Amino acid sequence: MIRLALSSVFYLFLVFFAHKTLADEAFITAQNAQSLDIIDLTSMTKRLSVPIAGKPAGVALSKDGRRVFVTSPEGHFVTIVDRKAGRIEKQIPVKGGPLGIAVTRAGERLYVTDFYGDMLVEIDLITQKQRYLPIGAKPAGLALTLDEKTLLVAARDDNQIIFVDLNEFSRLDQLAVGRHPYGVTIDADGRRAYVANVESDSVSVIDLASRKAIAQLKVESHPYGIALASGRIFISNQHSESLSVFDAKDLTHVATVAVGDYPEGVCASLDGATIYVANWFSNDLWAIDAATLKVRAKTATSDGPRAFGPFVAPAP
Amino acid sequence: MRATFFKKLVVAVLFLLPPCAAYAAHGASPLKVVEEIKVDASLEKVWGVISDFAHPISKLPIDRTEISGADAPDQSERRLILKNGFEIIELLTKRDRERLMIGVHRKTDNIQLLPAVNYTSLITLRSLDQDHTIIEWKARFYRGYPNNNPPPELNDDVAVAAVKKLIIGELDALKNYLEKPVGQ
Repeated sequence: MIRLALSSVFYLFLVFFAHKTLADEAFITAQNAQSLDIIDLTSMTKRLSVPIAGKPAGVALSKDGRRVFVTSPEGHFVTIVDRKAGRIEKQIPVKGGPLGIAVTRAGERLYVTDFYGDMLVEIDLITQKQRYLPIGAKPAGLALTLDEKTLLVAARDDNQIIFVDLNEFSRLDQLAVGRHPYGVTIDADGRRAYVANVESDSVSVIDLASRKAIAQLKVESHPYGIALASGRIFISNQHSESLSVFDAKDLTHVATVAVGDYPEGVCASLDGATIYVANWFSNDLWAIDAATLKVRAKTATSDGPRAFGPFVAPAP
Repeated sequence: MRATFFKKLVVAVLFLLPPCAAYAAHGASPLKVVEEIKVDASLEKVWGVISDFAHPISKLPIDRTEISGADAPDQSERRLILKNGFEIIELLTKRDRERLMIGVHRKTDNIQLLPAVNYTSLITLRSLDQDHTIIEWKARFYRGYPNNNPPPELNDDVAVAAVKKLIIGELDALKNYLEKPVGQ
């Protein structure tokens, strides 16, 4: 009897733990519904939806997975969400239209593009101080290098990537890419950056050491976001309703995978085995096997999922 | 006070500008309208009309349509010359028989015609039975004012209401045309 009770407790413990530790979660900004969907990626079900005003678009997660940072371009603020409770901790006013967002590993600083004011904004979460740097026309996506000394910003209407020295908080360099660069992603070993050029239907591959473009990948119509996993590059193509898949080593085209209508945010699971893509028009999130490229599962989201930024975190 | 004056000036200039070229400046928040209508017509009949890009059935006061480019997605363009003197240029972006989908992108933004910019439509058909078809019309666009804090006449709500009205009108026009008895 005692053994049975003990084993039951152990079993429950296991179930509880398995659930608590294995479940990656996705944080999907639904811009039209004005909410942040928190989706359990093991069961592909929505855990909850946090209302956030101001047409939320960009998303970033602290390294410890405890806090979610969301931009609201029309609300002129960044929202900090307590991830476990799904509760708004704080809203930080930002001038202009905050869109892209990145957070340092220690979680003490945020970098935000102001799409309306053409600024890069640095928010120190400890001192609450903000700094603004003129960055170029219509800044959108951004990414921190591994050493967090440099930030890459896509100045969309200038057709450039701007390199920012974060110690000086000043412009270090710029690089002409394709027309309307939007999503920017840096690889795990910090050697390369990938930039989606929306109006050129291409992806620029940038060598970070030399700050030069080393290749341009031909993708489908209106590329938006880029995810990296299992030695592959995955690009969401808004108008073609597809993901372009490339080999990250030799940059050859592997396949084109059909997804939902108007795919935007794309992100890999923590183990790199699955790619998640948010489809803005069809209001769903698809899970795609990164190796076989088969669709594993789909789940409905709130209206207008944008998920602009790395949106997957392990369970707390 | 000054900011308000500046905004009024920008709006005045926006209204005076000639229709902009493709992919003009737009805001950070794409908007969406989805409407559908049930039509008493077979899927084949509806597809035949919807997929004929050169001959749009529309509620717009079209005087004549000029077509250019090969009859294929991303190549075929139509110039709608309206009776009120305005012109609209649209690009066929998608014509997928398998998915029963047509995509059209309006290349000319003109907030006097429509207080929205970067207007793109996806029209999809769904067969109910032999004689009934659902036409679903989805649009993606941005408000007419591309910057921060839009004036009330060019905000998100105004853009959504205008596009909704436009799409309902277009769906009604299609329904009327498709359900017209033969010989009339």
